[in-house]
Amino acid sequence: MQDIYLLVAGPLAWAAWAIFFLGSAYKIWSTLAVAKQKDQVLLNYVSFRYALRSIINWSIPFNTTNMRLHPVFTGVAFFFHIAFFVLLIFISAHQIMIEEGFGIGWVTLPDIVADILAFAVLGVCVFFAVRRVIRPEVNYVTDWTDYGLLALVTAPFLTGVLAYHQVGDYMTMVILHMLSAEILLVAIPFTRLSHMLLASLTRGYIGSEFGMVRHVNDW
Amino acid sequence: MRHKLYGYVIFCSVVLCVTFGGIAAFAQDTGVFKLETFGSLERPVSTFDHDEHQEMDGMECSDCHHVYENGVKAADQSSEDQACAECHTLKSQGTQPGLRQAYHQQCKNCHVEKKAGPVACGECHIK
Ligand code: HEC
Ligand code: HEC
Ligand code: HEC
Ligand code: HEC
Repeated sequence: MQDIYLLVAGPLAWAAWAIFFLGSAYKIWSTLAVAKQKDQVLLNYVSFRYALRSIINWSIPFNTTNMRLHPVFTGVAFFFHIAFFVLLIFISAHQIMIEEGFGIGWVTLPDIVADILAFAVLGVCVFFAVRRVIRPEVNYVTDWTDYGLLALVTAPFLTGVLAYHQVGDYMTMVILHMLSAEILLVAIPFTRLSHMLLASLTRGYIGSEFGMVRHVNDW
Repeated sequence: MRHKLYGYVIFCSVVLCVTFGGIAAFAQDTGVFKLETFGSLERPVSTFDHDEHQEMDGMECSDCHHVYENGVKAADQSSEDQACAECHTLKSQGTQPGLRQAYHQQCKNCHVEKKAGPVACGECHIK
C-alpha cells in the first residue's frame, strides 16, 4: 500500500499536472487557430474592452437576464464553481502537503468548514444529475458523457469526504481520491470540462461581436 | 407558535450539550507528545508507540531527540529531556522547521526510507 500511495502521490501527480498544463496550452492554441481559419472577419473585431466587459458582467451572480430567469440554477452553479476552487486551494491537508514539500504556505480553512462545504458540493452534484433527468429541455441535450463527466467531477469529493471521515478502508480511499483527481485534471483540456479554459475566450468573442458589431449588451 | 419556539430552543440546547459533552468526554490523551504550542488541535492526535520505536534495530535516541550545533547534527548528543516544541516554534525559523513540519518530516521521512510505517494523514491521525 505504501508503494502505491507514494506512486500516486508522487510521479503520477507530476504527470497529471504536466499533461494538464501542456494539454491546456494546446487546447487554447488550437481553438484560436480554428477561429483564425474559419472566422478571420470576426477576429478583426475582437475588442479587449468589450471582451472584458462581457466577462465581468457574466462573472457577477444574477447580473444577466438569463441568470435571473434561472435563479436557482444560477445560485447553485456559482456556489459550485467557487466552492470547487476554494476547497482545492484552502483545504488544510492540501496546503500542508505543499508547504512541507515546497516550503510555501498560505491560510487554510478550518477542517469543519471544509467538511461542510464538501458535503454541500456533493449535494450540488446530485442536484446537477437530477436536473439532467427531470428537466426536459436539459434531458434532451444530455447523453451518457454528461453523466460520465459529472461522475468524474464528483469522484474526488466523494472519496475525499470518505477518506477524511475514515469510512471504508482508509488507504484505498486516499489512493482513489488522488487518482480520481489526477484523472479529472488530465480530462480537463480534452473534454467539455475545457470550458474552464475556454469560457473567457467564448465570452470575450461574443462580447466583442455584440459590442463592436451589433452595438448591444450581451447580458 | 410560542410552544414551537420553546421546543426548538430545548432541542438546540440538548444538541449543544451532547456535542460539547461528547467532545470533552472524548478529548484525547496526547501520549508522549507535548502539544500545547498548537493550541486547539485540528486533527486527532497521532498514534505513536514510543517503546516500539526506540527498540527498533539500530535506533538511537538521538535519531529523533537531536541536537544541532552550528547547523550540524551533533552525533554524540541527544535532547530527550526536551520537548520538540522547546526548540521548534509554531513557525519555521530559517532551516529549522516549524513544529508540525518537524514531527511530520521526522516521522514520514524515516517511514519512506524504511519502506515501512505510515505516510498518509489518516494512518497516523486515526479517528
Ligand atoms: C522514533 C523517534 C524517537 C526515538 C528513537 C526516541 N524517541 Fe523519545 N520521543 C519521541 C517523540 C516524538 C517524543 C514526544 C516529544 C514531544 O512531543 O515533545 C518523545 C518523548 C520522549 C520523552 C518524554 C516522554 C514523556 O512522557 O514526557 C522521553 C523521556 C524520551 N522520549 C526518551 C527517549 C529515549 C531515552 C530514547 C532512546 C532510548 C528515545 N526517547 C528514543 C521520539 C523518539
Ligand atoms: C535542542 C533543540 C531541538 C530539539 C529539542 C529538537 N530539535 Fe529538531 N531541530 C533543531 C534545530 C536547531 C534544527 C535545524 C537544523 C538545521 O539548521 O538544519 C532542527 C531540525 C529538525 C528537522 C529537519 C532536519 C532533520 O534533522 O531532519 C526535523 C525534521 C526536526 N528538527 C524534528 C524534530 C523533532 C520531531 C523533535 C522532537 C522529537 C525535535 N526536532 C527536537 C533543534 C531541535
Ligand atoms: C528512524 C525511523 C523512524 C522514525 C523517526 C519514526 N518511525 Fe514510525 N516506524 C518506523 C518503522 C521502521 C516502522 C515499521 C514497523 C513495522 O512495521 O514493524 C514504523 C511504524 C510506525 C507506526 C505503525 C506501527 C504499527 O504497529 O503498525 C506508526 C503509527 C508510527 N510508526 C508512527 C510514527 C510517528 C508518529 C513518528 C514521529 C513522531 C514516527 N513513527 C517516527 C520507523 C520510524
Ligand atoms: C507519520 C505520521 C503522520 C502522518 C502521516 C501525518 N501526520 Fe500530522 N502529525 C503527526 C504528529 C506526530 C503530529 C504531532 C502530534 C499530533 O498533533 O498528533 C502531527 C501534527 C499535525 C497537525 C498539527 C496538530 C493539529 O492537530 O492541529 C496537523 C494539522 C496535522 N498533523 C495534519 C496532518 C495532515 C493533513 C496529514 C496528511 C497530509 C498528516 N498530518 C500526516 C503525525 C503524522
